[in-house]
This record gives sequence, C-alpha cells and structure tokens, in this order.
Amino acid sequence: MNFWEKITGSDMTKEFKAFELRVKKLPADYQAAWEKIKAELWPHSDFTGRNLMPILDGVLGLLEETAADGQNAVDVLGDDIRGFCSALAGEEGAKSYRDKWRQQLNDNIARKLGK
Amino acid sequence: MLKGVLEGCILEIISRNETYGYEITRQLNALGFADVVEGTVYTILIRLEKSKLVDTTKKPSDMGPPRKFFALNDAGREELQKFWGKWEFVSSKMNELKERKQ
Repeated sequence: MNFWEKITGSDMTKEFKAFELRVKKLPADYQAAWEKIKAELWPHSDFTGRNLMPILDGVLGLLEETAADGQNAVDVLGDDIRGFCSALAGEEGAKSYRDKWRQQLNDNIARKLGK
Repeated sequence: MLKGVLEGCILEIISRNETYGYEITRQLNALGFADVVEGTVYTILIRLEKSKLVDTTKKPSDMGPPRKFFALNDAGREELQKFWGKWEFVSSKMNELKERKQ
C-alpha cells in the first residue's frame, strides 16, 4: 500500500471489487449470507475498514469451498450469523469503534490523573 | 462451555490425521454434535492457527478452490495433552458431584 492508496483507500476499493466479483459466482443464498456478514462485521471496523479485509477474504474462502461442496449457506453458517461474526472479529483481533473510544477515555483519565 | 470442549475435540481430531474443515465438521456431527456447523469449526480453526498450535498447507481439491489442511505441531500436541488433563479433572469432579446426590 503506497501513500496515495493509504489516503484515498483506492487499494481497498480494488480489493472490494475483487471480492464482489468472487461473490457473484456464488449461489443466491450465499450472496444473501455475504451481505449479512458484511453488515454484522461493519461495527468491528477500524477507521478505514482495512482491518476487516483479511477477515472478509477468509470468510469468502470458506463460502467458496462450501459452495463447491454443494452445501447450502444455512447448513454452513447456522442461524446465528451475528455470533459467527463476533467470534470472527474477536479471533482476528479486529477492534471496533467502541474499543477505540474506551481506549481514548482511559488514556484521557490516565493523563488527567498523572498531572 | 461447549466452545472449549469443541476446541479440544478439534485438536484431537487433527492429531489423528491431517484434515480440513469440512471433514472435521462431519466427524463432529457423526460423534453426535449435531448442530455444529462449518462456520463454528472455521472460527475455532482460525484461533488454533493464530495461537500457532497447528500447521497449515493448501492443497488443490478436485472441485472448487484449494483446501486448507491442518496438522498438529508440537505446541498443539502439548495443548491437547493439557486439554485432556483438564477434562479428566472436570469430568471426575462432575461424576463425584452426581454420585453424592443420593
């Protein structure tokens, strides 16, 4: 990632386009699941969303493998997509806005106390 | 609770044979964990990989994208032993509790 890509996020746009092309080849129920996963993962994003890219890539890999096996999306993901996503985000160490705010608050308090 | 147990199960399954997500899920289902889905196994596998308990290799499959195979490494074997140790303790205590009920 060079400076230009970092500022504009153009590398992510490219990556996202590549993701969506892969998604288009999946069966309809998988595409619906993908939309849901994206929506559930979004709150775990950092400021740019770059931290989500490897997670999304991994999930898409899982979807492609299982779709090729002929399973349907519900059998693969279960009915708890939200739980699946928060487990994913937790494992991958994605920090959400809330974590960031919490950190900020703690830092501020520590600074004030240190004065 | 089930999550920790599942992690142990998966380590045990991998220790017997290099395997991949789908196969692990099927084995757990056959064992009686009927509502374990591939997504659950996937998140556990990611955690195992992250804590460096397994080695992974990508192998081409006859259909679809290449599959990721998992094999236990030394740290994984150690972790598995620890798991069985803990399991032994918990299950003996649970049995003790159950028997003392009467």
